[in-house]
Amino acid sequence: MALIKKIVNWARRKSPWILHFNSGACNACDIELVASLTPRYDVERFGIQIKGSPRHADILVCTGPVTMQTKERLIRIYEQMAEPKFVIAVGTCACSGGVFKNCYGVGGGIDSAIPVSLYIPGCPASPNAIIDGVVKLLSSLEEKTPVKAVEAEVL
Amino acid sequence: MSNEDNIKQQLIEKFSALSDKIIVKRARRIFAEVSLADFPQVFDFAIKKLNFSILTAITGLDEGTVFGVIYHLSTENGIMLNLHTTTPRDNPLINTVTNYFPAADAYERELVDLLGIPVEGLPQGNRYPLPDSWPANQYPLRKDWKGQMPVNKEESK
Amino acid sequence: MSNYDFIVPIGPQHPALKEPETFLLMMSGEKIKGMNVRLGYNHRGIEKACEGQTYIQDLYLIERVCGICSHSHASCFAQAVEEIAGLELPKRALYIRTLIGELERIHSHLLWLGVAGHEIGFDTLLMYTWRDREIVMDILALLTGNRVNYSINTIGGVRRDITTEQIPQILKAIDTLEERTKYYAKVATEDTTITARLSGIGLLSHDNVLKLGVVGPTARASGVKRDVRKDDPYAAYGEIDFNVITDDHCDVYGRTLVRVGELMESYKIIRQVLAKLPEGPITVKAPRKIPVGQAVSRYEAPRGEDLHYVKSNGTDKPDRVKVRAPTLANVQAVAEMLKDRYLADMPIVVAAIDPCFSCTDRMTSISTADKDDKTFMSWPKLRTYSIEWYSRQGVDFSDLNKKFKAPGI
Repeated sequence: MALIKKIVNWARRKSPWILHFNSGACNACDIELVASLTPRYDVERFGIQIKGSPRHADILVCTGPVTMQTKERLIRIYEQMAEPKFVIAVGTCACSGGVFKNCYGVGGGIDSAIPVSLYIPGCPASPNAIIDGVVKLLSSLEEKTPVKAVEAEVL
Repeated sequence: MSNEDNIKQQLIEKFSALSDKIIVKRARRIFAEVSLADFPQVFDFAIKKLNFSILTAITGLDEGTVFGVIYHLSTENGIMLNLHTTTPRDNPLINTVTNYFPAADAYERELVDLLGIPVEGLPQGNRYPLPDSWPANQYPLRKDWKGQMPVNKEESK
Repeated sequence: MSNYDFIVPIGPQHPALKEPETFLLMMSGEKIKGMNVRLGYNHRGIEKACEGQTYIQDLYLIERVCGICSHSHASCFAQAVEEIAGLELPKRALYIRTLIGELERIHSHLLWLGVAGHEIGFDTLLMYTWRDREIVMDILALLTGNRVNYSINTIGGVRRDITTEQIPQILKAIDTLEERTKYYAKVATEDTTITARLSGIGLLSHDNVLKLGVVGPTARASGVKRDVRKDDPYAAYGEIDFNVITDDHCDVYGRTLVRVGELMESYKIIRQVLAKLPEGPITVKAPRKIPVGQAVSRYEAPRGEDLHYVKSNGTDKPDRVKVRAPTLANVQAVAEMLKDRYLADMPIVVAAIDPCFSCTDRMTSISTADKDDKTFMSWPKLRTYSIEWYSRQGVDFSDLNKKFKAPGI
């Protein structure tokens, strides 16, 4: 069993599948996330692939504060993912609610709805910071599961 | 005479009640106060006779004893006529303008959701922009609404 | 709307569009008979929040209405407040605002080209345009300190100046981008696969544009010559020579041509701005308490006309701030564009209005049937469906993906 776990972990580390969910963001973090896939940053060289379904994803990458309307859907998506699963909060809004913290439509950061494994601050989080964060998360998979929340450097 | 002053004059000639209620703030910006009773005729005249063929937005405001509604009209060449009318706070009601501008739908729904101003004649449709789970009789843009809908950790965990 | 057999829901999670919203399509066979749009997923309550903060704080909040056109929103807001306060900005500030505004237009249109390519299955275009877009991001970071959310504005002017050393760097970047854009224009107009895929899709007549109040490149592609920079000039546009790009195709192809044309005009505008950049201060002192008044400000964001209404009450906080973003004006035309069209058309038609639901505030659901059979189609599935459907009609980008080579690799 330990061997299987090691293989699965290795596969997960080598090629994590990501699901991106925008829970009410202004799009800045989302476009920086997409930018990290494009040639200059090329996060795909880490084997990362963006998939469309929660059931295929290892990592849920969330941007934006949690708005009332998206909260339920966010929780449902999280529940549909198979264990072990990790959540990355990209951007200051996802970390804490950001500038929208006191707005009536907003509850707070992603962790007001689901547990978060990694916080990447920034407004928006730059592709450099996103890659740094993802690499930190992947390296921590080598050591143990579950992952303790780590914070990426704002670059 | 500038285009704006010309427009002002035509409005006053047709609707004498507007004579001291129209201000040309600067080029391409005219502001007018219209009573709710006169509004339909003034609106119709502006669109049909004065070439205000574009409705860019509708703004609702909480002005204390009344709710204000501003219709931001524009001509093709950028002159704006901002028609401000009011409806009483204790019994607000305005008529739809979707018969003139089908796209006014979204702007009117904002008035319904955020200020609680009913719009007579608004076609059936989804609410906007508040979520379906939003509690009744809570109108965020009203000045006396101070609440914040909690999305707290206790609920979700 | 009663002549449909089934409805298909496409839920509020769209990796492609990056934004949550819900459309409900009523289908008959493969054809769309009606559409129901449910917006509001991005509604954060910004207008209300503005009332509780100072004008300067609101500048930072308004900037984050949308991350792609943040400068548009911030400038539009600043303009309204400056008008109420009766401030006359130094010319240099207006020119710098214009410069950043056009750089924003460039990044936004290049972004759009990439997204459009992705939606139709031409992923190579996404990679190339977004690689080129990095040139603009670098310049924006050089001038303002950030790639996105530049915060260059303050009430009364701009916060940072341009140095003489930066000017040749900007010009060099513009030269490179212009060469690449010419190539994209050539591919868009000459490649038969692209023209076949985009022509006749998302039709919106000139009259419907007028009737539905559509704005921006979507309107201009139907021959409606509407551009706030010309109709209601702001910043430095009154002193710059440029053309409003229109096209008569009335379809997605036309919208592509308009955006590519606007990129070329932006390069032209930026060169003029830099050549004519006046000396002088970059800001004028603004009072903390804005006198009682109201103003309506309009701005031509990359997606179309952005409108802000501000009412002040003599304090340091606004009484009312209203934001009408361009996508709200355009999204209602999508139903018209999709009427009697194929489900496979949906991704590119929606993408072609360059939707920013974040600005609008604000999900697609195609659901089957009259029963409880709710087959949710996710957006990526819809996109794949669309690409395969068109592939069966003979439209296939796999070859073009292989041989596409933009200059300057």
